[in-house]
Amino acid sequence: MLSIRDLKISFGKTQILSGIDLDLEKGECLALVGESGAGKTTLGLSIMGLARGSATGEISFQKKNLLALPEDELRQLRGREMAMVFQNVEDALDPVQRIADQIAEAITVHRCISAKNAGDMALRHLLSVGLNGEKARLYPHQLSGGEKQRVLIAMALVNDPDLLILDEPTASLDALTKADIIRLFRSAILGRICIVITHDISLAAALADKMAVLYAGRIVEMGRAESLIRDPHHPYTRGLIRSYPDMTTTKDLQGIPGRLVHGLSGCPFHGRCTQRIDICSRQIPKQRELDGRIIACHRGGIVPLLEISGLSHTFQANYVLRDVFLTLYEGETLALVGESGSGKSTLSKTIMGLHEPDRGQFILEGCSVIKRDAAFYSRVQMIFQNPKESVSHRMNVLDAVQEPLLVQRESSYEARLGRAKEVLDLVELPVDDDFLKRYPHQLSGGEVQRVAIARALALGPKLLIADEPTSALDPSVQAKILKLLMNLQEKMGLAMLFVTHDIALARKVSDRMAVMHKGRIVEEGATNEVLIHPRHPYTRRLVDCALGRYGMENAEIEMMVEPEPVVLEKYC
Amino acid sequence: MEQKREHSFWKILGKNLFPASLQSYLIALGAIFSLNFILPRLMPGDPLHAIYGDEALVAMTDEMEAQLIRQFSLDKSWWDQMLAYIMGLLQGDLGFSYYYREQVSQVILGALPWTLLLAGLALVIATAIGIILGIESGFCRGSSLDRGLVASLMFLGGFPDFFIGILLLLIFAVSLDIMPLSGATSPYAGYEGLAYMLDVLKHLALPLASMVLVQLGGIFLLTRNTMVTLLGESFILTARAKGCPESYIKYSHAGRNSLLPVTTATGMHIPHLITGALFIEIVFSYPGIGSLLNTAIAARDYPLIQGILLIVTVTVLSANYLVDLLYMRLDPRVRYAH
Repeated sequence: MLSIRDLKISFGKTQILSGIDLDLEKGECLALVGESGAGKTTLGLSIMGLARGSATGEISFQKKNLLALPEDELRQLRGREMAMVFQNVEDALDPVQRIADQIAEAITVHRCISAKNAGDMALRHLLSVGLNGEKARLYPHQLSGGEKQRVLIAMALVNDPDLLILDEPTASLDALTKADIIRLFRSAILGRICIVITHDISLAAALADKMAVLYAGRIVEMGRAESLIRDPHHPYTRGLIRSYPDMTTTKDLQGIPGRLVHGLSGCPFHGRCTQRIDICSRQIPKQRELDGRIIACHRGGIVPLLEISGLSHTFQANYVLRDVFLTLYEGETLALVGESGSGKSTLSKTIMGLHEPDRGQFILEGCSVIKRDAAFYSRVQMIFQNPKESVSHRMNVLDAVQEPLLVQRESSYEARLGRAKEVLDLVELPVDDDFLKRYPHQLSGGEVQRVAIARALALGPKLLIADEPTSALDPSVQAKILKLLMNLQEKMGLAMLFVTHDIALARKVSDRMAVMHKGRIVEEGATNEVLIHPRHPYTRRLVDCALGRYGMENAEIEMMVEPEPVVLEKYC
Repeated sequence: MEQKREHSFWKILGKNLFPASLQSYLIALGAIFSLNFILPRLMPGDPLHAIYGDEALVAMTDEMEAQLIRQFSLDKSWWDQMLAYIMGLLQGDLGFSYYYREQVSQVILGALPWTLLLAGLALVIATAIGIILGIESGFCRGSSLDRGLVASLMFLGGFPDFFIGILLLLIFAVSLDIMPLSGATSPYAGYEGLAYMLDVLKHLALPLASMVLVQLGGIFLLTRNTMVTLLGESFILTARAKGCPESYIKYSHAGRNSLLPVTTATGMHIPHLITGALFIEIVFSYPGIGSLLNTAIAARDYPLIQGILLIVTVTVLSANYLVDLLYMRLDPRVRYAH
């Protein structure tokens, strides 16, 4: 019914929309999400024929190409066949006319109808959106925001349009009014083509069945709304969802580094993307369909960084690791939780090659890991629990930080010093000579841990294994170190395997959580889901303990029939 | 809720007739009357001397003086004087013009209609044309029509009104000789009915045109700039999305909203209009208040000057009051603000 082909809109030299393709059938509701300036509103306006820039491409609606239609025919379609509810409810109504008259006007401009009949129709429509006849005689300034929004909805629906475009329809409303308006929208969009323009992901989820993510004038990802929110494939979509909290969000909010720039060559997002490769800045990624999802990314979406499959390890005939399968994606934190002795540390050391496993395979960035060579360690690094022990007391700060560079045979001292200062700056430590010459015993615990983090970052790794990185630090220092790690993740797209026994801590830093018990991963899933609905009894017990409910004895779990591990779908 | 509705009828009726701003007008009027009463009495010497000036006193007989003292209650207390003054005003007594040898109120009444005709028509015509041109010009901002109008009207608006008047007089009445040189009617022509009206209009045309030309610029510019701002407002986008044709958007949405600041500005402009009319009347020897004031000043006819000032202030105040009422009709936000 509505199909858009290669739509491009530009204001002067700036291209706002660069090649939009969309198909919508009657009864479908599409949510257009993206940050301000992505071109969402422009897309809505250009469908209505109200965008000011120059447009090329094709918008075909009711078998007519709207872009080729003369203004007068387009005007006759506007308000009758297609209607739009604008953002900014406060100014969207004419301040000097009664609301009933404004609605009646929407009828009279399209039909030969007496003023009285139009007035009656306007009243009926106002009633249907929940405003009584007394309100109809009022002026916009006498109505509340929610009431104005209702008037605008009535105005849009009064001619029973086939296409309804809602632009940030609930942006200025409080939560309760918003709920009412969403209910109203739900009935209003039935049987029409509907486009909801919003940056409110919860609104998109509530109304739309399809969702398209717009970035710098391109659709970077499109798919079923629910699955797209649960499991974003494009790094931008993930960033967007991460920065938008809902009531079950547990991880601290993270933004997307950088800001939106129009007119970049190649993939529009490459400047802010942490997994970009050469081709990203040269070539515009084509839209591809991957498991029912349209995605425009050269790397096919967020890449798996490390895949562990079938990992087993025995120690003196006891299983320490049993059949571990685990995947870590670019830019995410996976918390590995469990009691002491559950095999968490063994797993992390095995990844680092400190233990040789009996069975199992590691795939790092698509290549099977056969030996742990210098190249491997420049991608994967580890930080340990006790910084005072992990940083040699015979090395000063500079020696400690440049050591991995020496190992990697970086011969020039200037290059090493430069890099060391760079990473020390990243972890927010001073870079003066005095500090570089200090020894670990002259530093506080938090500072030494920062030095350890700087040392791990010196080679620019993509994966950081953090084994209880803060348990030796006091709480305020711990908070700062965790914030630092999260910022580094946001900036560099670091994937983190966060090994801890502290569930409350894991909850605040991780996207996903894997629960280990006796060498097996018994449950894995999105952190909030695992914690709200723990399925495995062991997880339940861990959560109970973290909540301060000490009901079940350890032995009770031992006695229970060991259930199969629970693995939920991937969630970033 | 019920009680509120019961009161609302009277409230709305009361507010429409006597809006809160009426109080401020009454206060202003009171202040002007008091000044008119107090000033002559505060001047050094004898109030009669202050009121009537030197020349008058020389010509005045003892009899007349005694009569005047009685009339103004100058031999009584201030309170009685004030009462006498107010009673006099209420009876339309503004004093006696010794130059015209007639009651001041009669003299003013003879001239006032001409000024009201001239200034009133100038106001209406300039506002109407200014608004229409402003709407058209603002709607197609940047077009050649817009640029041409802005340039020419700003050019015209830059001149003082009497200059334009002299210019028109020289061109149309002196060089081309198609328009009368002065006056409001042709003397001794004895026209009646339609012919009289045409004669009046013919005499009115040049002074009116010069006033309109000068007033036009301000109203036009204000309307145009308001239009330009309004066209960027969200409600205009709503109107377009409804499918409103251009003319609806131009006049019933943007145009109607642009009336609000224009009305306010017009109200504030009325005193300038009156002073403008005074100059124009002198240029065209038009027998209105302006010419009268000119004569009165030349003859130092103080009662007449005072009476004219009083009448002019009252006229300005009432005009402003009417504009206030009009504004309330136009803007519902003000109507229900109290």
